[in-house]
Amino acid sequence: ESNSKYPWIRNNDHSRQIEISDWLTMEIKDFINYISPSAEEIQARNGLVKKLRQSITSLWPDAELYCFGSFATDLYLPGSDIDMVIVSKRRNGKYDNKSSLYQLSSFLRTRGLGVNIEPIAKAKVPIIKFVDPTTGIHIDISFERVNGIKAAELIVSWINETPGLRELVMIVKQFLSVRKLNVVHTGGLGGFAIICLVRSFLKLHPRVVTGSIDPLANLGVLLIEFFELYGYNFGYDSTAIAFNDKGDAMYVTKHSNPALQGRNPFLLAIQDPHDPSNNISRGTHNLRDIKRAFGGAFELLANKCYDMYNASYKERLGQSILGDIIKYKGKQR
Amino acid sequence: CTEKKKYNYCTDCESKNHSNDRCPNIWRSYITNSYNDNHVFAYPGNAIYCYNCARRGHYGDECVEYRTSKTPNINGSAFTGDNLPKELR
Ligand SMILES: [Zn+2]
Ligand SMILES: [Zn+2]
Repeated sequence: ESNSKYPWIRNNDHSRQIEISDWLTMEIKDFINYISPSAEEIQARNGLVKKLRQSITSLWPDAELYCFGSFATDLYLPGSDIDMVIVSKRRNGKYDNKSSLYQLSSFLRTRGLGVNIEPIAKAKVPIIKFVDPTTGIHIDISFERVNGIKAAELIVSWINETPGLRELVMIVKQFLSVRKLNVVHTGGLGGFAIICLVRSFLKLHPRVVTGSIDPLANLGVLLIEFFELYGYNFGYDSTAIAFNDKGDAMYVTKHSNPALQGRNPFLLAIQDPHDPSNNISRGTHNLRDIKRAFGGAFELLANKCYDMYNASYKERLGQSILGDIIKYKGKQR
Repeated sequence: CTEKKKYNYCTDCESKNHSNDRCPNIWRSYITNSYNDNHVFAYPGNAIYCYNCARRGHYGDECVEYRTSKTPNINGSAFTGDNLPKELR
């Protein structure tokens, strides 16, 4: 029943908290603990990366293998895939061709390193998709694209210097993934774009920027305010998210930069910190559903807080605030 | 008519937009850092941007430009000068 729907509240009852936002803060922390990978899972993933690195450099001694994306930044949800890129040591783009793609595919097949191996040559970024036969983890390998590595380095430095960023990103990611709004191919919001939204929100928040509050002690109210900003108030038609050279958050008008303007004014624009001529979220065509989902999350969370505030302790027992917006499907952890 | 007015008045924040049991203060409550009496908050001039018109110097709740979001902002949001520490408002 209710407990199995919200497994993170098992043995973690906060219904006696006086402030409802403290209850939500504690539930956010419980949820993140719950979905964070165990020591064995981390070991299995690291072992898999090591094995692939050794095998592939035995095929191509002048190749280097890097991880990027959520695995490299430690922002992955259970069951998410591992993104890797092969770069030649001389940085001469040697492996950026179809023959490398097919050579590696057959190498993975004959060595038994992967199942369901799918070389995708026609994509904008050619990749090989496959599944590790022992762990069942999905792996994507691309060739000679270094921007993912640069983005991962930036994200790691942002996570280290922005308390609360990791926690809010994990919640927003899980929220969007349940609604299938986190896949860029289908118009959703990608991982880097989510990180930019959360960082911008935290860096411009009047209480956070003045040091009046510690974000880690206020995750509950900050989560509701994140949904309030991007679900209700943000002026998507005219305003773009940007970061200066020091990584400070700012807004710029969309018409200040042609790269931020699309045919449709109602599009999210995030200026790429490494390349101002690129809009990170240009593939996010489905802003309408994303904004509606954020607004709905704001409503649900605020209403749950009002209900719980006006409820008796008996009525509060075993209740989840987060459970109204996040359903965790998957095997019991 | 007067009854309806009464119901939509919040004695906690003196707003006419909601009743006490739906007051945003129920969830918009912060655990603030404690500082000693002579702590001075620095004015975050470089981090005050408007979510509505993108300009620096004011927050979106105080924007005088035409609001582009079609979703109304009835109770005010986190992005208002009123949410700065008391000394900076
Ligand atoms: Zn009120
Ligand atoms: Zn404005």
